[in-house]
Amino acid sequence: MAAVGVSRGFGLGRPGWPAKLNVVRTVFLARIRIISRYKGAILMEALLPIVFAAMPVLLGTSVAGGNPAEAFCNTLVRGGGLVIPPGETCIQNYPNFGNYKLYMLIGASTFTVVSIMMWLIGYWVRREQETGTLESLALAPARRIWILAGVTSYAFVRAMIAFVIAILLGSLVFQVNPFEQGVAPALAFLALGLLPLWGLSFMFGAFIMRIKEADSVIQVLQWVLAFLMGVFYPLTLLPPLMQGIAGLFPPTVMTDAIRASILNITYFYGSAYGSVAVLFAMALVTPLLGYELFEVTERRLRRREGVGHY
Amino acid sequence: MHRGIGLTRFDLRTRVVSFWDMSKKKIVEFSRYPVAFVALFVQIFLIIAMFLFASLAFTPSGSDPSTQRGLGATVVYGFIVGLFLSFTLWEIGFSIREEQTRGTLESLYLSPASKVSSLVARTFAILLWSGAMSFMAIVFVGGVVGGLPTANIAAALLVLAFSISGFLGIGFIFAGVTIKLKETAQFLVNGLQFFFMIFSAQFFPFSALRGVHPFIVDGISKWLPVSYCVDAFRSLLLGLPPGYPELGISIQGEVLIVVAFGILSPIIGYWIYKRFETGARRQGSLGEY
Repeated sequence: MAAVGVSRGFGLGRPGWPAKLNVVRTVFLARIRIISRYKGAILMEALLPIVFAAMPVLLGTSVAGGNPAEAFCNTLVRGGGLVIPPGETCIQNYPNFGNYKLYMLIGASTFTVVSIMMWLIGYWVRREQETGTLESLALAPARRIWILAGVTSYAFVRAMIAFVIAILLGSLVFQVNPFEQGVAPALAFLALGLLPLWGLSFMFGAFIMRIKEADSVIQVLQWVLAFLMGVFYPLTLLPPLMQGIAGLFPPTVMTDAIRASILNITYFYGSAYGSVAVLFAMALVTPLLGYELFEVTERRLRRREGVGHY
Repeated sequence: MHRGIGLTRFDLRTRVVSFWDMSKKKIVEFSRYPVAFVALFVQIFLIIAMFLFASLAFTPSGSDPSTQRGLGATVVYGFIVGLFLSFTLWEIGFSIREEQTRGTLESLYLSPASKVSSLVARTFAILLWSGAMSFMAIVFVGGVVGGLPTANIAAALLVLAFSISGFLGIGFIFAGVTIKLKETAQFLVNGLQFFFMIFSAQFFPFSALRGVHPFIVDGISKWLPVSYCVDAFRSLLLGLPPGYPELGISIQGEVLIVVAFGILSPIIGYWIYKRFETGARRQGSLGEY
């Protein structure tokens, strides 16, 4: 034991909580300092969801002709297994279901949160590999989990800044009000959904460390995410098998639950309780699984070619 | 006598050979990253599939299949023009930035090879690949919606060729901006890409923008040559149905604008690039990381 302690650089001492938190804080501040030099990146991240949301909104307007809200409402109602009384319109019975602009804005904004988290952690691993500092990190006496906690905290803060700006600015652009109802449950779903997202980010980091071609993988995974999350459409439009796969994916459940609580529409898992239960289970399992995968991948690479292999 | 090449004559053959060598270097680089190629391919299909599902969410029940085909064509043809624009914008600037990062940009400027060829060669491989992807995208969407209209193919390809030439001009400008602004230029390219995506109506008809406010089309879209590239290419392939072209002038007028754009844009773009480059060389910041 003592030999292990010595080899980790702490001699016989064991780092306490202040030391661990200091590692998190230092990593967090270092990343914040770097990004503060690229203000354009933060602005672009905040504008991106608005542009993303604008495209299906404009496309939908042309597809539906005169009444996009009614057409979209019909799709959601059909997917949710609800019924419209004969001779009445969908909007008359389910007025919230026609708010397609807010639906797209929430989808695009949560997608940005997911995308930024995955992107930043994936890129962090790759950057450290490219600059040759990932191996030095392995020699540092701090445990990897605290370094990762610092990076993920930074990713979380950056993602939330983009999310808040996008929702506020997007509400003005699309003339919608996301604060009418269900804000508190939506925030709770967001908070709960971030835990499995952390786990997914660790898995993603492990994947990037293994295959190395970060750029292309991140780009394609971004669109896989958007596709599975149903950013622009209700999941009920997907074939049953795809719906099943999408339903097991934490960001999908998070996005669906946030939308359902703010717009008061049907939940993918039937009710708010169903979504809470699924997200809670994911929040328990995914971070542990993600971190374990990251450690296993790193250990294997260290035994073979080394983690810094460019 | 040309600088740096002694008594060697810099004729057309030499230019073609050096252009091919420069392009080949890029092709070899791409071939080393097969995952990137496959990823790009998958990405294109996912984007198209997402927009198709989005349009499905707005499709009134019992709508005419020919309307869906027309809409699928509008999305995919606009997307193809956007694809070429996006790759041209990204590839030139990004590869200049890479040369800066690696520290090879200054050495490259000591070579006597043509700078225009050097810039164009950076996009040659990716443009070839985009062409193949566009073809497959048409086949894919055609399969999903039950066939796409493909009228006036020769004229549409001519429009696309001049459009790509015009996009190269914008790419040259961004290569210059990259030399000046370095990392920040990437955000500008990103912003510009999304600007064109919306205001040149790449994923929807211009009528959707007019529906939001007529000023968007009359005050913004009509002033962008890229809009005419999208509109002319799309209208020709759709077989000029009623309401197309959408920008308020005849198809001949639009084609003329696209041809002028294709000829003038590279000239103006390269001139602007040279100004940025000369400025950076005077300041000694060309290879600055």
